[in-house]
Amino acid sequence: MIEVIEVADIPLWAAILTSLLLLIGSGLTLIGAVGLLRLGSFYERVHAPTLGTTLGIGSVLIASMLFFSVLQTRPVLHELLIAAFMVVTTPITLTLLARAALYRDRREGNEEVPARRG
Amino acid sequence: MPQTMPDALLPLVVGLPFAAAIVAGFLSTHARGAAALLAGAVAVVDVVLIWVAYPTVAGGGVLLFELEWMPALGLNFVLRMDGFAWLFAGLVAAIGALIVLYARYYMSPEDPVPRFFSFLLAFMGSMTGMVLSGNLIQLAFFWELTSLFSFLLIGYWYHTAQARDGARMALTVTAAGGLCLFAGVLVLGHIVGSYELDRVLASGEHIRAHPLYLTALILILLGALTKSAQFPFHFWLPHAMAAPTPVSAYLHSATLVKAGVFLMARFWPALAGTEAWFWIVGTAGVTTLLIGAYVAIFQHDLKGLLAYSTISHLGLITLLLGLNSEVGLVAAVFHAMNHATFKASLFMAAGIIDHETGTRDIRRLSGLHRFMPFTARLAMVAAAAMAGVPLLNGFLSKEMFFAEALRAPTSHLLIHDLIPVGAVLASAFSVTYSLRFIHGAFFGPDPVDLPRVPREPPSWMRFPVEILVLACIIVGILPAATVGPFLDTAIRSILGEATPQYSLEVWHGLSQPLLMSVVALIGGVALYLALQRHLLKGVEGAPLIRRLDARRIFDRTMVFLSWRLARTLEGVLGTRRLQPQLRLMLCVAALAGLCAVYVRGLGPGNLFPAPPDPALALVWAVGIACAIGAAWKAKFHRLAALILLGVAGLVTCVTFVWFSAPDLALTQLLVEVVTTVLLLLGLRWLPKRFEVGRPPEPRVYTLARHLTDLAIAVIAGVGMAALAFAVMTRTPPELLAQHFLARAYTEGGGTNVVNVILVDFRGFDTLGEITVLGVVALTVFALLRRFRPAADSIELPEQQRDQLAYDAAHPRQTDGETVSDWLLVPSLITRVLFPVIWVIALFLLLRGHDLPGGGFVAGLTAAVALILQYLIGGTRWIEDRLTVQPLRWMGIGLLIATTTGLAAWLFGRPFLTSYFDYLELPLFGTVPLASALFFDIGVFALVIGAATLMLIALAHQSVRGHRVAQASEEGQPTPPPRQAPALAGED
Repeated sequence: MIEVIEVADIPLWAAILTSLLLLIGSGLTLIGAVGLLRLGSFYERVHAPTLGTTLGIGSVLIASMLFFSVLQTRPVLHELLIAAFMVVTTPITLTLLARAALYRDRREGNEEVPARRG
Repeated sequence: MPQTMPDALLPLVVGLPFAAAIVAGFLSTHARGAAALLAGAVAVVDVVLIWVAYPTVAGGGVLLFELEWMPALGLNFVLRMDGFAWLFAGLVAAIGALIVLYARYYMSPEDPVPRFFSFLLAFMGSMTGMVLSGNLIQLAFFWELTSLFSFLLIGYWYHTAQARDGARMALTVTAAGGLCLFAGVLVLGHIVGSYELDRVLASGEHIRAHPLYLTALILILLGALTKSAQFPFHFWLPHAMAAPTPVSAYLHSATLVKAGVFLMARFWPALAGTEAWFWIVGTAGVTTLLIGAYVAIFQHDLKGLLAYSTISHLGLITLLLGLNSEVGLVAAVFHAMNHATFKASLFMAAGIIDHETGTRDIRRLSGLHRFMPFTARLAMVAAAAMAGVPLLNGFLSKEMFFAEALRAPTSHLLIHDLIPVGAVLASAFSVTYSLRFIHGAFFGPDPVDLPRVPREPPSWMRFPVEILVLACIIVGILPAATVGPFLDTAIRSILGEATPQYSLEVWHGLSQPLLMSVVALIGGVALYLALQRHLLKGVEGAPLIRRLDARRIFDRTMVFLSWRLARTLEGVLGTRRLQPQLRLMLCVAALAGLCAVYVRGLGPGNLFPAPPDPALALVWAVGIACAIGAAWKAKFHRLAALILLGVAGLVTCVTFVWFSAPDLALTQLLVEVVTTVLLLLGLRWLPKRFEVGRPPEPRVYTLARHLTDLAIAVIAGVGMAALAFAVMTRTPPELLAQHFLARAYTEGGGTNVVNVILVDFRGFDTLGEITVLGVVALTVFALLRRFRPAADSIELPEQQRDQLAYDAAHPRQTDGETVSDWLLVPSLITRVLFPVIWVIALFLLLRGHDLPGGGFVAGLTAAVALILQYLIGGTRWIEDRLTVQPLRWMGIGLLIATTTGLAAWLFGRPFLTSYFDYLELPLFGTVPLASALFFDIGVFALVIGAATLMLIALAHQSVRGHRVAQASEEGQPTPPPRQAPALAGED
């Protein structure tokens, strides 16, 4: 029988660690969001949200794993799947966006992007 | 009354023809002999069964068979046979048997004869059901069935326009009359307080005194008069002659047209005996009698002549019924029987002539007497009976008619004198057209230039005519000894105590009616001789009233109703623009809601809302902003609006998560994804801008319109929110949710209550919903298949044109290489994800009964997997590699869901009862297993099918659109299209 402890009874070290990870994760995501707002060109802006989707979400997921593992006194590893899917799917979106932007810029003959090969 | 042996025969009498009709329908197309044998056997068995019942009805008894139908409404399925019903049922079955024998030889082996017999049997069954109905609504039902099957029979040779038009006209007139009859019997039932025929017939006094009497009378008579082809509804009957002759012989002698007469006689005790009855029925009868007989003289088609003569004889019967005298009723029933015998035999004779010579035109026929002497003699006797020659049955009923015409009970002297004159005149006309039939076809010089050389028909084909003609003669000579008892039984069952004295004698002495008969005979012959010259000219149509073509009026009315009126209404009320439609819908919805609130009030609820959580409020603020932004941008920035709409949907999803409704959240998320993608695909085909071809209106109008729209939107939205709030702030006294929560595991075998409700407690609803989903998907598919996009959205998008141009300009590139190279990484990853998403879908499906998930969500997930492949790979690429058959998915899904429900019947449980147990699996241990899982699998399959069907319909739109664009751009014919992507069921 797996022992389940109440949220209030969670050990201090776990609470501190979880909070820290959560703060790091949300902080990184916030920085990414601010970057999305502030950065100049599209190609720069594409990079900003990746802070959130990689390290940011990673920290939150680790926090979640830690917290629930302690709470249920057993390893809770579902979050690994979420991480895997994030890692696999985020590049699709960003690649699509970046290539669409590149394509448009080239069609419009913008100088700042490298020209088509061949 | 206890159900005795003959009582139990009644359902057999009615059911047997229907059962045989189904069997005949399954016979092979060329099984002429088998179908005829089956039909004949059934008809003969029916005759025997009806004969067995005779002793009971002859003693004044009534056979009854009752079956509970809707006991809560006091409606039972009642078959009731008294003397009158017996007589008509016997007539239907006996003449039916003869018709089957005749049709066996008449129908050509090339025709799909089993279909003919199938319709004929079904018609026989409905006719028998009609005369045996003991319940008014059931009577109306069988009445409409006879209309329907007569439509099928008349339109049997549907490859000719004549048959189609005739059938359609007959159906329109008789079925419309049937609807009137239905309304009439409803009124009658309301007056009496019961739909049982017995009670209705017993409360004649009450009915006639009721203020609604006239309404009921007119409606019922509309039914009867249309069916019996009475003026002004007579026009359908001649056009119904496009049917095969056996059908005409059956429908227009003994059955269909007699149904109206039957009905009037049936309701005689309840409805007759008033001034209104006399005027309506009598006027219709006398007009039809005269017009029918007059027009019949000038017909050149043998069957047309018989058709108008039938109309005229039906008018005679109707007039007799309208005279409000009991003896008149006797004469009417007697004449109905006599007419059935001689008219059936005449139709069959006309059919023999047609069959053996290839034409029915009197102008081309002549002298057939020498080629088919036997048939000629039979036809002569039958025609003589029709003309009312003494010693034949027609004479007897005609004499009774004259006697009644002389005694017409009316206060108006003029009418009193006119009816006998009209009777003699019509009778003279009938002598004339009978003579024309016989003289035109059988006498005169040898025929020239006939399609076939005439000869006697096969003897079995003549046999039914012989029987009927024999009956005419025997009844004509010995009426009292032959039909006397049957007629008496029939009349007694209608009139009971009030049955009058009448005599069925051939010789009544030198009386006034006999004098009238003699005058009519001589007058008819004289008229025929006088008309010779006119008839030989071969002019179409009857003189004087040629312009009074009821058919033209009918056609014009139909064109007006079904086309002009519809077009006008569409022009006045319709719009092709979305905005007015939406505005209208919203207004109606808002109005309906406001009405409900106005009537019932919208008091405060009994629950108090909790203070809003600031975090959720923030999320909602984002959602609201997005929703308003979507509305703002909807007109000119559809893509932006769509994205904003998606965010609003996500906020709803978050709200569900917040309030611990993971099932709803999951569903919301997936529905959001799929709809956004489908809308995104659809955006491509929307027109760029709606150009109004008029000068810009003043700014004030625009502003006013915007403000109105805003007001409507605010009222509808706020109203909806208020309603939702009102519902959510009150608890009904008995919470259904408690019931579900308590029983989900014990009775449904699942811990996910939402899923248990969907697949078990409310399984029938779900079945209905998935059916609707399937219908919607099919509709979208059907609409898109014929969809032609707006002209400005038909050409290729700019980017694609560019890519293709680039590929074409660079010899190293093949067509489409740029785009596939451009999307290399995303498409690779997406393809890898395909099986993964399917695994998730299956996971959601399997765990649905106990944890968030279920067939619907799983189906959407799987559909998302497919949609992703379509998006990233393109329609052609994906369909070259993967065969998706959405129709099959949908069909199989629906089948699985229904079969799961039906399986409960095997165990004697109600539809969709679920069963659950635990299963020991070697690797997984104990696994819960509910039959609801199979139901859920059905839902899963259907959802996949429906979602992908809509997607594919959109995707193919773009493939087709591009082909059109390419062809028009290059100014050359479309290149041979690639093999159409595999889609089961397309084309």
